[in-house]
Formats: sequence, structure tokens, C-alpha cells
Amino acid sequence: MPTRKNNKVSSLRVRLMFGAAVTVSLFMLALFPALKQVFTAALEESIEQRLAADASALISAARIIDEQLRMPEKLPDEEFDILPARQIGMIYDNKSNLLWRSSSSKTIKLNYQPKYDGRGHEFLRDTDTDGREYFIYDVEVDLLRGKKADFSIVTMQSVSDYDVMYVSLRQQLYVWLGFALLLLLGFLWLGLGWGVRSLRSLSAELDEVETGKRAALSDEHPRELLRLTRSLNRLLESERQQSERYRHSLDDLAHSLKTPLAVLQGVGEVLSVNPDNSEQVHTLQGQVNRMSQQISYQLQRASLRKSGLLRYQVKLKPLLESLLGALDKVYRDKGVAVTQVFAEELRVPVEQGALLELLGNVLENAYRLCLNEVRISARLTAAGCELTIEDDGPGVPMHQRERILQRGERLDTQYPGQGIGTAVVKDIIDSYGGQLFVEDSDLGGAQFRIIFPLNK
Amino acid sequence: MKLLVVEDEALLRHHLYTRLGEQGHVVDAVADAEEALYQVSEYNHDLAIIDLGLPGMNGLDLIRELRSQGKAFPILVLTARGNWQNKVEGLAAGADDYVVKPFQFEELEARLNALLRRSSGFVQSTIGAGPLLLDLNSKQATLLNQSLALTAYEYRILEYLMRHQQQVVSKDRLIEQLYPDDEERDPNVIEVLVGRLRRKLEGGSGFKPIETVRGQGYLFTQVCR
Repeated sequence: MPTRKNNKVSSLRVRLMFGAAVTVSLFMLALFPALKQVFTAALEESIEQRLAADASALISAARIIDEQLRMPEKLPDEEFDILPARQIGMIYDNKSNLLWRSSSSKTIKLNYQPKYDGRGHEFLRDTDTDGREYFIYDVEVDLLRGKKADFSIVTMQSVSDYDVMYVSLRQQLYVWLGFALLLLLGFLWLGLGWGVRSLRSLSAELDEVETGKRAALSDEHPRELLRLTRSLNRLLESERQQSERYRHSLDDLAHSLKTPLAVLQGVGEVLSVNPDNSEQVHTLQGQVNRMSQQISYQLQRASLRKSGLLRYQVKLKPLLESLLGALDKVYRDKGVAVTQVFAEELRVPVEQGALLELLGNVLENAYRLCLNEVRISARLTAAGCELTIEDDGPGVPMHQRERILQRGERLDTQYPGQGIGTAVVKDIIDSYGGQLFVEDSDLGGAQFRIIFPLNK
Repeated sequence: MKLLVVEDEALLRHHLYTRLGEQGHVVDAVADAEEALYQVSEYNHDLAIIDLGLPGMNGLDLIRELRSQGKAFPILVLTARGNWQNKVEGLAAGADDYVVKPFQFEELEARLNALLRRSSGFVQSTIGAGPLLLDLNSKQATLLNQSLALTAYEYRILEYLMRHQQQVVSKDRLIEQLYPDDEERDPNVIEVLVGRLRRKLEGGSGFKPIETVRGQGYLFTQVCR
């Protein structure tokens, strides 16, 4: 299947995490105005309380002598020069005439006129002519209890003082909310990891099944996954049984077709003793050969079906060892020196039987045609898994190279006696989307270079 | 050479029996693994040809059983499938070479002779000892570069003794090489044949490589190359 390049996030954990992060962030954003409002209200209340306390201080400092308001020269905080707590205070009579103002209020160009309307106290904001905003606390008092000593006591504080505090507290709020968000996301990540771990272990088991380290998936998965794993196991088992049955059927078919051909071949040889029969014998043997090749080729093709479930990763070393053991036995007298150049752990993305067939055919050619040297190299490149089989034999002539590389060439058009080796090799390479190059080796003979794309 | 053929298809078995017999081998041809195991328990074979697709115990299991019994003779496998899985399995089980069905008899014969040469330690297709030279392919003997006229039986005895040079070979062993198991055997025939062979080797050159070991058999005393 061609892989489509896309930028979509493929990890379930990352997706869940992304979703959760967005949700949590939105939740926090929605929470923020409410928090801000609560916070502002609390702050304003504390400011009001403070201004009320300032007013009380002014009231306690005030003296009424002969129905006249007398204020001390210096207020308590002016006395101690506590700058940040400097009280801004004004006292008006019930006609809104300014009777007294604290020295700190002299720079304020605020045109505030309290109304003595018997409403008790007010807390409000107002702006002076310079555009500076103030919180104003205005309380009506009757210092002599009905004896015509009604005053409006006004205390105030610049909103800009409050702004500094507000900004600094808001920053703290941001920091804490951010910290809480990170902590939450961290826990979410861990929690999701724990949740997704079962999927990961399933994936690891599938890897093992695909590479043949494990026959079936285990039952140690969460309930939600068990139905899936059991279905997969049934599928794997049925595929395995089917492939086994298939192999036996092919073996039986081969035996039942080719043994009679061997008998016919023998009959031909007996008949050929009489020279009169030579033409018929030639025809008979030609047909026997052709049938035999077709049967072998079709059986080989049939046996090289790929499983849809398994992703092949066959370790090259042990497979090659068993193959070389067999070839060394057959070609013992030749004493072929084989060099292997590849990493111990290298795996080839081809099914075991197909790889054995491929390497068997290519290597037997190399053993048969070499003088005494064969080199097998394999490596992973950007293009895929590259296998190279070289020998020091006569090499492959140019016209034969093209013939080997031609796709879909019918077997019966090939030269008789060539066998089915190269056709099977080409078939296997094609079915795995691989490439075959027939080249010259620096050993002096042929070089078969095969590249299989890696299945990710 | 005494060969064992294990092939379930009667026509093919008969064909092999006949053709190998014509090539001067003594052939025991059987249809299944059980019979094959009986044959090897009774007689000494020099090589076995085993079809992998046997009914009952299959060819692979037969080869494993033979090897586990310590039988060291070379085994040539006949396989119908001809895929590498089968070949590798057969060779790993203990076979020494394979031939894919259908085969030309010449190919089978060439493989078989190569295995026989190899099993007696001779990689070349000739065995020589002093002035004597045996061509294993044409089954001809020459003495002092002169062709030596030997009957088929004389040649078989000479080849067997030379393959087992410097070992005492019993008369029974030699009889097995000459006759299939169901034919009547007479140890005196061996004495007559060896006597004739000695005279032919000695005549003219004075070459006396065959000694009699009393009560045990015969010994080829020369070192072969």
C-alpha cells in the first residue's frame, strides 16, 4: 500500500494530550474573568476599609471648639512621616464648603463636591483635571450629635497606587495559574501514558508476532482490548493453518505431477537406445522438460504468497548459514570461499520462504559459476535493504542481463535449460516492490544487487 | 557398489533399479522407509537414493533415522518440489546432494558417482595404486598404461578393495557388492574371482596388491592416490 505523506498527528497519546491541554486551557481562560472579578472586588473592599479607617483617624483627630472645627497641624502619619500610608483627607461642612484639607491633598486638583444628604457613606471613583483617577470615601458625620456639627469627611487614594498592586497581584495570579496548568498537564501526560501503556504493550506483542518471536497475542490486556486480541489470534491461527495446508497441498501436487514426469523421462531414455526413436524421444523429453518447468514455476509462484497480517523482518545471518551449509555440502569438492559482509543483526523485509528461495537461486548460480570466491554483502541504505551477491565467475553477458531484468516475461519463451531460477528471483523481487540490478563485480564475475524497500 | 533406492512410485523405482544395475551397481530397491530401514540393518550399502515424498514415514525422517543410527553412507535425495526449503531441509537432515524430479539419468549418475568418490576419499574420478589406474567413470582399469581386460565382477571387486585400501574386507561384504540380496550366494565364487583378478594384475608386471587374511577376508596393501 502506498504511504500517504501527511502531517496529521498519529500518536493517540499526543492526540489525547492535545485535546486535554486545549480543554484545560479553555477552562482556565473561562475561569480567569471570574477570578479577576472576585479578586478586584476583594481589593476594592479592602481599599474602602482602608479609606474608612483613614476617615476614622481624621474624625478622632478632629476637635470641635465653639462649634468650629479644629484640626491638628499634623496628622498622625504625617507626624511619623510614614509615606506610603499618607492620608489624603478633606473635611467639608454640610453646605459643601471645604473646612480643612490635609497637606498631602494640596496637589490634588480634584473637583469633588460632597453632598450632605444624609446617606451615610459613599465609595466611588472620580478623576481630577490631570486625568488621575482616585478612589473616594465620603462619610457624613455629626460630631456633636445634633448640635449643628455636620461634616462630610472625604478620604481618597490614587487608583494608580492600586494599579501597581493590581498588576503585581495579577502577575502572581498568572504565574500560579500557569504553574497549575503545567502541573495538571504533567499529571495528564503521566495518566495518559499509563492508559496508553496497554496499547503500547499490544503493539510490542504485535511486533513480536510479525517478526515470528511469538505465535499469538497474550491475554494480558485490558478488557476493552481483549475482544480485538482474541479476534486477531483466531485470524493468525487460521492463516497459519491455511498456509500449512497450502504448503502440504503444493508438496502433494508436486509429487503427484513430477514423479510421473520422471517416469516418462525414464521411458524416453529407454526408448532412445533404438536410434529409430530418436526424433520422438527428443520431442517427448522436450515436452516433459517444458511441463516440468511450468509446474515448478507455477508451484513456486503459488507458494510465495505474502501474508496480509505479518510484516516480515527476517534475520539474514541464520537463514544464510543454513543455506550456505546446504550449498557447501553440494559443492564440497569445489571448496568455495564465501565472504559475508553485513551486520550480525541485519534483517530483511521479506518472508522467510521467499528469501530462502531468492538467495538459494542466486547463490546456487554463484556457486556453480564461480572459480572459488563468492561474496555476500547486505546493508541498510536510504533506498532500503540492499543485498549484493558477487562471484569471480565469467559474469552475465549484456544480452542476458536485459532478459533477466525484463518484467512479466513468460517462462516458455526463455531459452530451454535455463531453469526457473532467475524467473522466480525476479518474481519475488517484484512482489515485494524491490529492484534487481545485474552488474559486474570487482571480483571479476557477476554482481546481483537487490534492493527491497523497508516496510515501516 | 551396493546402492539402496527408496522410491514409492513402482515404475520409477524399476527404472532406477534397471539403469543403476546396468551401470554395474548392486541395487536394493524398496518402496517405503520401513523396508529401507530393514535393508540397511541387514546389509552394508555404499549409497542411498531417497525420495523425499514417501508415504508413511517421509524421506526426511528416514534420513534423520539413518543418520541417528550412525549410517555414514552418502545419501542422494530425490525431490519433486525442488524449492530451497526442501533442499535445505533434506541436506540439513543428513543428505549429501539432491536431484530434482524429473531428472535425466546421466545427471543422477554423475551426482551419484561424485558422492561415491567423495565418500571413499577420492575427489578425482580415478584411483591409482602403483602401476594400476582405475577410471571410475568409464569403469576401466589400466596397468602400466595398458588396458586391463576385467569382467564386470572382477572390476567391482577391485574397485571395492581399492576404495577400502588397507582395510580387511570380508568375503560377505564382497558378495553384497556383487549380488542383490535375494540371489543365492556362494563364498567360493569370491575366491575364484579374486584368484582370477590376482593373476591378471600379476601377469607381466608382477604387481601383487591383494593379500589374503586367513579367516577374515582380503586386504588391498597398496596406498591409493
